[in-house]
Amino acid sequence: MPQLIIDRREIEVPAGTKVIEAAARLGIIIPRFCYHPALGSVGACRVCAVKFLEGPVKGVEMSCMTAAQDGMVVSTTHPEAMEFRRYVIEWLMLHHPHDCPVCDEGGHCLLQDETVSGGHGLRRYLGLKRTYRDQYLGAFVQHEMNRCIHCWRCRRFYQDFAGYRDYGVMQIGNRTYFGRFADGPLESPFAGNLIDLCPTGVLTDKPARFKGRRWDLERAPSLCLHCSLGCNITGSARYREMIRVEGRLNEAVNGYFICDRGRFGFAYANHPERARTPRLDGQEVTWEEACRTAAHRLTRISREYGPGAIAVWGSTRSSLATLGVLQRLCREQGWLGPQFFNSPSRERKVKAAISRLDAGVAVSLADLEKADFLLVAGADPVNEAPMLALGLRQAWRRGATVVVLDPRPVHLPLEFEHLPVPPGGIDLCLDLLVRAAVSHSATEGLLPEAAAAFFNNLSCEYPGDQPLQDRLVSLGMKLKESKNPVIVCGLDIVRESTVVLAADHSRLLRAAKDRAGLFYLLPGPNAFGAGLLSLAGEPSSPSYADMLAAAEQGRIKALVMMETDPFRTFAGQPQFLAALDRLEFLLVLDYLPTPLTDRVQFFLPTTTVFEEEPSGWVNQEGRCQQAAPIYVGGRPISQEGAGSHPPRVFLAGIPGGEPQPGGQTLAALGVALKGTGAPLYLEELDTWLAELNPVFAPLLESKVTHPGVRLLPEARGDYAFSHPNKATLRDVPDDHLELLLVDWTFGTEELSGYAPPTQEVEQPPRLTMQSRDALRLGLGPGDRVSLALGGESITLDLEIVENMASGMMVLPRHRQLAGQKFPEGPILVPLQNIHKV
Amino acid sequence: MPGEKNRLLRVTEGLVALIQGFWTTFIHLFRKPITEEYPEYKRPLPPRSRARIILTRDPDFEERCVACYLCSASCPVSCISMQSAERADGRRYAAWFRINFSRCIYCGLCEEACPTLAIQLTPDFETCQYDLLTLVAEKEDLLVDHGGKNQEYNYYRYAGVLVDGDKGGHIQEARPVNLKSNLP
Repeated sequence: MPQLIIDRREIEVPAGTKVIEAAARLGIIIPRFCYHPALGSVGACRVCAVKFLEGPVKGVEMSCMTAAQDGMVVSTTHPEAMEFRRYVIEWLMLHHPHDCPVCDEGGHCLLQDETVSGGHGLRRYLGLKRTYRDQYLGAFVQHEMNRCIHCWRCRRFYQDFAGYRDYGVMQIGNRTYFGRFADGPLESPFAGNLIDLCPTGVLTDKPARFKGRRWDLERAPSLCLHCSLGCNITGSARYREMIRVEGRLNEAVNGYFICDRGRFGFAYANHPERARTPRLDGQEVTWEEACRTAAHRLTRISREYGPGAIAVWGSTRSSLATLGVLQRLCREQGWLGPQFFNSPSRERKVKAAISRLDAGVAVSLADLEKADFLLVAGADPVNEAPMLALGLRQAWRRGATVVVLDPRPVHLPLEFEHLPVPPGGIDLCLDLLVRAAVSHSATEGLLPEAAAAFFNNLSCEYPGDQPLQDRLVSLGMKLKESKNPVIVCGLDIVRESTVVLAADHSRLLRAAKDRAGLFYLLPGPNAFGAGLLSLAGEPSSPSYADMLAAAEQGRIKALVMMETDPFRTFAGQPQFLAALDRLEFLLVLDYLPTPLTDRVQFFLPTTTVFEEEPSGWVNQEGRCQQAAPIYVGGRPISQEGAGSHPPRVFLAGIPGGEPQPGGQTLAALGVALKGTGAPLYLEELDTWLAELNPVFAPLLESKVTHPGVRLLPEARGDYAFSHPNKATLRDVPDDHLELLLVDWTFGTEELSGYAPPTQEVEQPPRLTMQSRDALRLGLGPGDRVSLALGGESITLDLEIVENMASGMMVLPRHRQLAGQKFPEGPILVPLQNIHKV
Repeated sequence: MPGEKNRLLRVTEGLVALIQGFWTTFIHLFRKPITEEYPEYKRPLPPRSRARIILTRDPDFEERCVACYLCSASCPVSCISMQSAERADGRRYAAWFRINFSRCIYCGLCEEACPTLAIQLTPDFETCQYDLLTLVAEKEDLLVDHGGKNQEYNYYRYAGVLVDGDKGGHIQEARPVNLKSNLP
């Protein structure tokens, strides 16, 4: 561990640490453009020069290129170094245009800051300024190449860190150009990070273009809700409008970066059609009246038909407080529910997953990057949780092997082994792989008894596919050599047994290797929190569909829908609307303009994660994190003034500022129902949660601070295996194709479906199938096909690919496909239901 | 008695002073007045005196204001607010621009901050109103059809940011780099 002195302060750093990083640990931020902690050093900008006074290196040197060594004495403020840096900035500014007033970076521009702090003021060079033609780079990133100072950060992120090739560098020397070969949208779903990385205004945020300067923004640390990973973001609002989201550093979760869905999908909070006032029978009412009426009607129904006639639906996009108060209200009142998941199999999978995670096997996204063997079972990272793909790539860059067992045509920005097996075959593949990997420990009796018993039950052949079996065994040999394997398991398309089996296998690997990780992908940003509450809620709540049937039969008279959109589940089903009509009382609380908000008689608006109150969210590894409120809420000024200036009136309150956090509304409802003896729902929430499920206990002991509190049980030493009934390989008849409903990066996720920038880049839905199946059906590339599903038919473009399992069709849960009925469970479509149009 | 004599002297002195003072006043009745009667007479103010604010235009008759938010940032009483937007041709402009003159202290910092010479203070100070809301000026109230104190400057000829035409057409700019050629 080298010891060195920087600006008269001593520090000891690990060997290999660069001086710039060592200085940062002391809180000394040396000027930099090309150096970035995530991208490393490249020595392109020369602005991090410092003076080395003593030690193995002498004179002015680049602090990002010099590793810290024993005996170094460094001065960052030596006149020689400062003069050097001033000249470097003057050189960088030679060609920089005179456009700060019309540049979006102005106000948070690193070049601006360094120019001012470096002391460069007047341009002395009288020659012509170099210019470049700009390119169209898609809906997210604005290109203005004149401003470039050639730090190479964009190329290093885009190609090295993220692994996409369509953006890069051209020309040499003074003419170096960063862009694409030809105009066109950037292909990477991580391209938005270029905006954060660019130290000047070459790459700026297009949806937020000209919306405001950094000093005018209300900014706060928040969380991304567009998948279950819980990436950290900084949100910015201005004039009551969310205008921008940037990545925020959390070493344990997302690092510095976020995906484009998380960066540009926030605009649902500004949706012009969002209902913002409590509404009763078409009339706007005050909160007091709304709560009183709701309590009155619910009490009447409860008295007439019993509390079981009131059902409650929740969802996984509500904060922990909302979910908790909802659960407590149901418990106290004896209502049916709450049901947080829109399908029973999804609920069972989530419960199975989170009940098997403990502090010993659960890994964070950052831990996953350090794994040396990644077994991805039934997950399509780029589409389901994009940042996972970036995490896998970092592991791969460190030398990890990545194996993907998934029927879909998975694309990842790295070299990986894709075994396109049907969902029923994933269990077998896991068995074969892990069997090959731990065989020596088992035969030599190194495994604990329970693990050995589980090992003996593993399947040892993949029927009917010897080449695949051989490939699995050879991959198993690689797994055997690995020291830190991680199993990544998606919950979306896999059979229920796979979720359990992934946990069992990670335990077996841990028994054999001392170290193994388990990483689930869950449906929704707070699916873990909802799952913890569901696990504690015994007996489990009936499913959405069961409750709906009960409503149709008249057994359920009232329905409370908390931040859930049943149209995503039951769209186009006539019995769904019929059941809604039969209800005596339907209360909807939401922050999205769902199709339901226009239909219902009784609506209460809730706030988004960005407004009013801090909210807790539990990500897929059980990490509870807090999102701070960014602004107070209310209708955006741009909408109040219809694009022109805001109205010239004196007002007491905030226009459209009525929405309340869901938990607060529910607590008020609880008080209205119970009267003065009601508990302090929100104030005592953590205590109540901890009593309900001891996993919540850490919330009591400490405040939820960065980087989050893990709500996981202690590591279990007993290697409890579940031995699930494994899925069978041939569970699809030959004259049928299995239809997999899948997620896409853009177009399927609920929240970003309401955001114009992400709507702009989403592709129209298409049906994907394997070439053999297309041949069987007589379909060719470019065909349009009609697919009959549950009495209705939809027409789509067909995509034929090679790298997916046969016997399958893949269809995105696209928002443009709303109105289609998607039944529960594996969907089998007879071949005669697929026609060419 | 010495006291008696003193009193007589003081009375005489007082009378003289009284008469002198009234005499001066009396004389001034016949002098030409130097007071200027406002509002009957309005004295021309120096061009750099600071009062009502205007938004000027460049020689091409385009709005100079690019809504860069620097004036609102420099305003010590936060009386300037605006929203920037992009015109169809890519030029940045103020979708709306508002100055609350009931708050303005006419310090002129906005003018100093303005990089395009758009916002300028004029000598016109007669802006009093009874209703505060009428002191809130919008862009259409502020925009004038001349260049104010500088008729020549056109920021967009120096900016380097394209509004129309090809890159490299602005003052002190080279032709754009040809990416598909290795020739210098």
